[in-house]
Amino acid sequence: MALRVQTAPEKVVQRGKSRRSGSMVRIIVDQFTSFLFVVPFLIAFCLFVGYPIVFGFIVSLNHWNPLAGPLGFAGWSQYATLFNMNTLAAQQFWLGLKNTVTFVIISVPVLLVLPTVLAYLIYRSPFKTLFRSIYFLPTVLSVTAVTSLWTWLLQTQGGAVNNFLHAHIPWLVEQPWAWLSIDMATVWRTLGFNLIIVYAGFTQLPQSTLEAAALDGAGAVRTFLSIALPQVRHVLAFIIVTSTISSFNLFAQSLLMTGGGPGSSTEPLTMVIYNQSFNAMHMGSAAAMAYLMAIILAAISFVQYHLTRERAS
Amino acid sequence: MNPKTRITRWLAVILLSVGALFMLFPLVWMVSTAFKPQVDAFDGHLIPTHITLANFSAIFSSGSGASVLRWLVNSLFVGVTVAVLVMIIDSMAAFALARLKFFGRRVIFYIVVASLVVPFIALLIPLYLEFAGANMLDTYWVLILPYTANAFGVFLLYQFFLSIPKELEEAAVMDGVNKFQLWWRIAVPLSIPASATLGLLTFMNVYNDFFWPLVSTTSQDMRTMTVGVQLMAVGQYNTNYSLLMALTLCSVIPMLLAFLFAQKQLTQGIATTGINL
Repeated sequence: MALRVQTAPEKVVQRGKSRRSGSMVRIIVDQFTSFLFVVPFLIAFCLFVGYPIVFGFIVSLNHWNPLAGPLGFAGWSQYATLFNMNTLAAQQFWLGLKNTVTFVIISVPVLLVLPTVLAYLIYRSPFKTLFRSIYFLPTVLSVTAVTSLWTWLLQTQGGAVNNFLHAHIPWLVEQPWAWLSIDMATVWRTLGFNLIIVYAGFTQLPQSTLEAAALDGAGAVRTFLSIALPQVRHVLAFIIVTSTISSFNLFAQSLLMTGGGPGSSTEPLTMVIYNQSFNAMHMGSAAAMAYLMAIILAAISFVQYHLTRERAS
Repeated sequence: MNPKTRITRWLAVILLSVGALFMLFPLVWMVSTAFKPQVDAFDGHLIPTHITLANFSAIFSSGSGASVLRWLVNSLFVGVTVAVLVMIIDSMAAFALARLKFFGRRVIFYIVVASLVVPFIALLIPLYLEFAGANMLDTYWVLILPYTANAFGVFLLYQFFLSIPKELEEAAVMDGVNKFQLWWRIAVPLSIPASATLGLLTFMNVYNDFFWPLVSTTSQDMRTMTVGVQLMAVGQYNTNYSLLMALTLCSVIPMLLAFLFAQKQLTQGIATTGINL
């Protein structure tokens, strides 16, 4: 890629001159040399995004073993199977989807409300930089570090959380604690991310409006609800969409904290797809699941985007 | 400032301080456990009664079967390489899309933006098969190449390049500067803060990624730090939390350093784009 960067200048034609001469050849050469700048990105993009999207669809239309390769054309049958509840694949897919949606429902509201309230408190308090740093800190940690840490904190015997509460809560092994555990670890790690975005929204608040509200005798809660929140409504709409997407992609927390258990109750769709492709070795069927999941997620994002945008404006 | 506002301000500080304790406690507990002897791990003391470095020496000793140092080097090497490649590739592409005119420019830009919503799970299986077909699984290639297609960075730098004043560009063209020089001598130096933000976020994303290295590598030597932590958590260190916390602590040190020294770049990048990589 670096070589390409160095070869570009020799062919370059100066823009100013090419305009004036107006010759067709010069325009084409000018456009071509401009296009060369995008070529390294386009190569990477086509190889690692474009081609996989097409190839994944082809895989989903075939029976495919990761070691043996294609085992015959399946047509739409692997998609149809996912709608036949008598099959194991369908049962796993819809249970996985149900679990994923459960997590979205229990995580997105928290990831919206908590960062918004905290961001506003920081915005109205001294020590802004210090507090922002503290709340942002866990965001830079890897998901495996976070899950190994929280698995230790949430041990039933000798875990710090149970010690603190003087309780024997079976956090990682029984419901509803298992979901609560995954939710806590996720919120702890990602709330700082949303907080930074909402905080940036609050800093756009006109100071005069806040002063006027204070003069009118509006209390802190009232000012927050009637003046600050409407100001950041577009940011909040954005956070709903992006948090839903990231919660929909839940994988590592379930794999590492609960192993998908108890039973399969915290096994999200991503884990079903992972198991179907790399453990059960049904890559074609797994690709069909992944495609269906991507379509469902795109549909949800689309609906959310339009609903929140209408409300916001 | 009236007394009522002052009370509200300090109430906010108290609430935030309580929240901050909850945010920091898990990290303090991790550090505390990492310095405890294994027999004290379950003693429930925040301050270790005996402080030891034995967990760290056990992790890095070759006899334990783990290759922690190798995983760390892998993660750092892959993260830095990808960050540098992405900064070059995305800067060139963003510059052309924002400042140059050519056929298909709009189409390319829309494709870039649209690709931001494709979930990784949809790419996982075909990417795996693609690299398996090229015989590149379990190599540095498979750990580096897929991340070089970074549409997020194009989007980030595109917005930055749009803000460069036209006069600056025109003055340079008057001086007989060609397009490549325009990019390298004018656009790149101006975009150093934005590029640094992109580089840092890319490094963080790659260093912290788990799903792709998990499926694309198999040998002990090609694992990355995140996968290594997971392997030890379910394997040798399953119930030995002193060792596991020492390993976890080592795994997060590069990101903690990045946080300490470049927090501003990280938060600015997030605040301006709002996009999680």
